[in-house]
Amino acid sequence: MERKILALLAIVSLALCLIFPVVRFLGKIDAAGYKSGFFCASAAWFIFAALWITRPKKNN
Amino acid sequence: MTSKISTIAARLDKLYEFDREPVSPDKLQSGSKFAGLFAGEHVAATEFVIGAFFVLHGVTARDLVVGLLLGNLLAVLSWTFVCAPMAVRTRLTLYWYLRRIAGPGLTAIYNIANAVLYCILAGAMIAVSATAIGLAFNIKTPSLTDVFPTSVGWVLITISLGAAFTALAILGFEKLSKFAEVCSPWIFIVFIAGALATLPKLGVSPNFSNFWEVAKSQIWNGIAAEGQQKFGFWHILFFAWFCNLAMHIGLSDLAIFRYAKKWTYGLYTAFGMYPGHMLAWICSGIMVAGIGREMNPGLMAYEALGLAGVAGLMLAGWTTANPTLYRAGLALQTITPNWPRWKITLVAGTVTTVISCFPVVFLKLLDYVAIYGLVLMPIGAVVFAEHWILPKLKIEQYRAEKDNRLINGRALAVWVGTLVICFFLPIHLYFRWLPGYFIALVSYVLLQALGRNRK
Repeated sequence: MERKILALLAIVSLALCLIFPVVRFLGKIDAAGYKSGFFCASAAWFIFAALWITRPKKNN
Repeated sequence: MTSKISTIAARLDKLYEFDREPVSPDKLQSGSKFAGLFAGEHVAATEFVIGAFFVLHGVTARDLVVGLLLGNLLAVLSWTFVCAPMAVRTRLTLYWYLRRIAGPGLTAIYNIANAVLYCILAGAMIAVSATAIGLAFNIKTPSLTDVFPTSVGWVLITISLGAAFTALAILGFEKLSKFAEVCSPWIFIVFIAGALATLPKLGVSPNFSNFWEVAKSQIWNGIAAEGQQKFGFWHILFFAWFCNLAMHIGLSDLAIFRYAKKWTYGLYTAFGMYPGHMLAWICSGIMVAGIGREMNPGLMAYEALGLAGVAGLMLAGWTTANPTLYRAGLALQTITPNWPRWKITLVAGTVTTVISCFPVVFLKLLDYVAIYGLVLMPIGAVVFAEHWILPKLKIEQYRAEKDNRLINGRALAVWVGTLVICFFLPIHLYFRWLPGYFIALVSYVLLQALGRNRK
C-alpha cells in the first residue's frame, strides 16, 4: 500500500480515538460502546502507523 | 581508588567518543523537530500518578491551573535562558563539557549517580504498569503508606514485567524506539479520552457549563486524602518547575540543544510541558476522581478506557522505561569492561526490576522526582558558573582540563556541600533546590576566586 494512504489511515484512526470519547461525553453512546470503539480505533492506529513508519520512502 | 576512577573515566570517554566533537552546522535541526521531540518525550506512565497525586494532596482547582501554567512557564524559560544558550555556544553534550570543568573522574561519578537515579525512575515506571496487570489477576495494589512489597502476587507481577521490559531492551534499542514513536501520540490521546469519558460520571453536563463547579467540588476540592500532606499553589508551581530540573537547570539537555540553530529553540519545550505536564496531569486528576480518589493507576485507566487503557498504561510505562534502561546500561558499561551490550542491559534491568518490587518508588514518586533533580542540580550550577560567571570576573576557565586533573576538588566540594546544606534546610523538600542552586553558584565562584588569589 502507498505510504501516503497508510499515513492517512493512521491519522483517521487516531482521530477516531478522539471522536469516541467525545461522543461518549455528549451522551450519544454507552460506556461499553465507547470502550469497544476506542479499542478498535487504537488497534487500527497501531497497525497503520507501524506500517507507515516502517515503509521506506520512495526515491525521486 | 584514584587509578580505578581514572580507568572508569577512560572507558567512559571511549564510550561517548562518537559525540566528542561539537555539532557541525550541517547537522543542525529545524524547530519542528524540537517541537516533535519534546511533545513525544513528556507523556509517560508517571503522568498517570503525578496528576492523581495532586488530587490526593488536596490541591484546589485554581491553585492547580495557575500553578501549572506558571510552573511550566518557568521550566520553559529555564530551558530557554539557562540550557539552550550554553548548548548553542559550546555544541557539546554535558558529558564532554563537564569533563573540561570537573575533570574526567568527577564526570564518571556524576554519570554513575545518574545511572542509579535512572534505574529508580525506570523501576517506578514498571511499578505503575504493574498496577494494570494486577487488575487482571485480582492482586491488590499497594496502599499509599506501603514501602515494601505487599504480596507475593505483586512481586511476581513486577518481576515478570521487569523481565519483559528488560528482554525487549536487550532485543534492540533502535527498532523498539521506532515503535515507541508510534506510541507517543496515541498515549497522549489516552489521557484526553480517559478524562473526557470520566467527566459525565462526575456530573459534567455535555455543554461543559458546570465543568468548573464540578472541578472545584469533586476533583480538586482542596481536601487532602488521609495521611497526605495538603498542597497549595507554591507546591504545584515548584513541582512543575523542577519536574525536569536535571534536564534544564541540571543541563542534561545540552545533548539535545547542541543541535539547535538558535538558543530561542528552548521555547519549543512548551510543546512538551503544556500537553504533557499540564493537560495530562489534569486528565489523570479527573480519572482518579472518577474512581473515588484511589491511587491505583491500573484501575483508573481500566475504568476510563477499558482494555485499551490497560494497554495504554503498559505502553506508557514501557516506552519510558526502555530508553531509561538503555541510558543506565550505557553508564554502567564503564565499570563492566568487555561485557556485551545484552549483559549490561540485563544487569541494569535486574536492578531496576528489584527496585520496582518496592511500591514506595511510585507511591512516593513526587518526592523522588524532587530528590532526583536536587541531587544533580549542583553540577548544573557549577557548569553555569564556569561558563558565564568566571569569564566576567576574569577568572581562568577550565582549570581542571588545563592542569590535567582527574577531579576538580572544588566542584566536588560544592556538589557534596550543597546537598548537605539542602538536607538541613528547614523548608519543604520541593523548595530546597532553589536556594541550593544559588548556594552552589556562589560557593563555586568564591572557591574559584580564592584559588585564583592563591595562584
